[in-house]
Amino acid sequence: MTNQKDKGILLEVKDMVKYFPIRAGVFKRVVAHVKAVDGINFKVFKGETFGLVGESGCGKTTAGMTLMRLYQATGGSVNFKGHGDLLQLKGTALRNMRKDIQMIFQDPYSSLNPRMRVKNIIAEGIKTHNLAKGSEVNDKVADLMTKVGLSVDHMYRFPHEFSGGQRQRIGVARALAVNPDLVVCDEAVSALDVSIQAQVINLLNDIQEEFGLTYIFIAHDLAVVKHISDRIAVMYLGKIVEMTDKYSLFDNPMHPYTKALISAIPIPDPTHDKKRVILEGDVPSPINPPSGCRFHTRCPIAQDICSKEEPLFEEKADGHFVACHFVK
Amino acid sequence: MNKDKKPLLEVKDLTTYFHTEDGLVKAVDGISYEVFPGETLGIVGESGCGKSVNALSIMRLLESNADVGGSISFEGQSLPELSERQMRGIRGNDIAMIFQEPMTALNPVFTVGDQIEEAVILHQKKSRDEAHQMAIEMLRKVGIPEPTKRVDEYPHELSGGMRQRAMIAMALSCNPRVLIADEPTTALDVTIQAQILELMKSLQDEYGMSIVMITHDLGVIAEVADRVVVMYAGKVVEYTDALTLFKNPKHPYTWGLLNAIPRLDIEQESLYNIPGVVPDPLHFPKGCKFNTRCSFCGEKCKQEEPELIEVEENHFVRCFFIEKVEKEKAKTKAGENL
Repeated sequence: MTNQKDKGILLEVKDMVKYFPIRAGVFKRVVAHVKAVDGINFKVFKGETFGLVGESGCGKTTAGMTLMRLYQATGGSVNFKGHGDLLQLKGTALRNMRKDIQMIFQDPYSSLNPRMRVKNIIAEGIKTHNLAKGSEVNDKVADLMTKVGLSVDHMYRFPHEFSGGQRQRIGVARALAVNPDLVVCDEAVSALDVSIQAQVINLLNDIQEEFGLTYIFIAHDLAVVKHISDRIAVMYLGKIVEMTDKYSLFDNPMHPYTKALISAIPIPDPTHDKKRVILEGDVPSPINPPSGCRFHTRCPIAQDICSKEEPLFEEKADGHFVACHFVK
Repeated sequence: MNKDKKPLLEVKDLTTYFHTEDGLVKAVDGISYEVFPGETLGIVGESGCGKSVNALSIMRLLESNADVGGSISFEGQSLPELSERQMRGIRGNDIAMIFQEPMTALNPVFTVGDQIEEAVILHQKKSRDEAHQMAIEMLRKVGIPEPTKRVDEYPHELSGGMRQRAMIAMALSCNPRVLIADEPTTALDVTIQAQILELMKSLQDEYGMSIVMITHDLGVIAEVADRVVVMYAGKVVEYTDALTLFKNPKHPYTWGLLNAIPRLDIEQESLYNIPGVVPDPLHFPKGCKFNTRCSFCGEKCKQEEPELIEVEENHFVRCFFIEKVEKEKAKTKAGENL
């Protein structure tokens, strides 16, 4: 976690949009869209950890999947260093891109093929991208397994023989196998118990240093995101509402949603002074999001303008971007 | 702990063993605690520590392969000795429970109103109309908008937070003395979790019931609990009031756990590593069950199991080497929690 701005931009997302069509009727006509990601912009600098947080349904996972090209984007562009616009890549170029961006998934149970041995799971990427040949593959797999804290003796076991934390380590080894520049971690530690979660977070931090990785860390747990990230973007209903470095975000949150979100987190200290902003109601449906500012239906400081005009996502302080009419 | 007060619910040496094909699983292995009137007791531990099985044992909701031993007394009545009929009079009426997943805990083919009315009609001998009015009143109390309309809706028509509110309404409809909440907010988003915790607190003030809050989230415990039981591998490892637990944890597991969570309120260089994984309940280690993961483990820990001892007033710890933990704490105190 160094000063990454001088190292240059690795990834730049511009106006990325992803709508999922809802079809109905005999002819399966498109009747509406789920506006999962509705025009988001951010940059990721080389060597940093960029956190993407929000509650369920805010579009954080869709954003990750879309920039990985696991979903076809509806619009926008994603510039990745050395590859041009990721969203336009095809064929071999797309395949080569996958070597440089890898993903670690949330559920360590469903993201590993139950019929493959650990060795083959980790080696698949190495073989696909011709990164090693013959016995080198085995050496590489063994090396990776040691690095992520798995015993090399377990190379020929199946995923079901491992615990959740160990499986997540296999997922990490699989992502590292192709020497990626960027790793997208989608709720990588959410399914794990507290003590195991700490182990995996520490592992992610260690390998980041060792391999010079850049992370996009997607999670709903603000405390985890704060621990691991350098900069953080907060999403609400398909939009980024606030983005800045982690210290400004927690010491000086500007957007009313960020304030409420931070105050809602229980602090493991009974003497902690709780000044809580309780939000009313639930997150509205992304099929028909509220007009103007999407947060106005739950916002404690909303005025008339908020339901009519969408606030711009502007830089309100140095490197601190906020989308709110009432933040100066 | 308030030794002059009489506990409402008293659990003593509770054991719950499951006979499975692979062998005997000691899910809960001799736990004791008291719940006093009007207080919130937190039970915290990682998955598989037996915290939920403990609740199901009290409610007698376990399957037939479970073997429950020890005593559970509620206002002087011994729950395991009651007939199924008598138990039905207690369940939902005196002791109510809310579950983690409101979608699976609610019956999808009945309206929310029907499900609340069922308990009211059964326990309070109300007519259907009266029960219906009560259901609407309860839904209003738990903060569901338009309760007259919502009462006739099915669970799938409600959002996750609303369903959890409906379940709380159901649990509180008979005005229970004890509410057992098993991970009530784990499946919810934090802003919704904050709403639900706030709601539970205000209802507790209004009804004066006791709450047993079962969770893995130490943040939630700090927020709501008066006293806390920390469980590991079917045993209580530490038992004290919340303030003491968070400010002066004595068991290596509690101490490690508190330092393993990422915190919003303090800056941490790295998280404390409790090595290894929770042991398999079929093959618990000999001696102290935490010995395979403990950084203070000595020879003695591998041979015998420590007792739960009152080391300070109302502070119970199951460890031979609490002074080693103290030393480590003093070392790391400089940086305040690592």
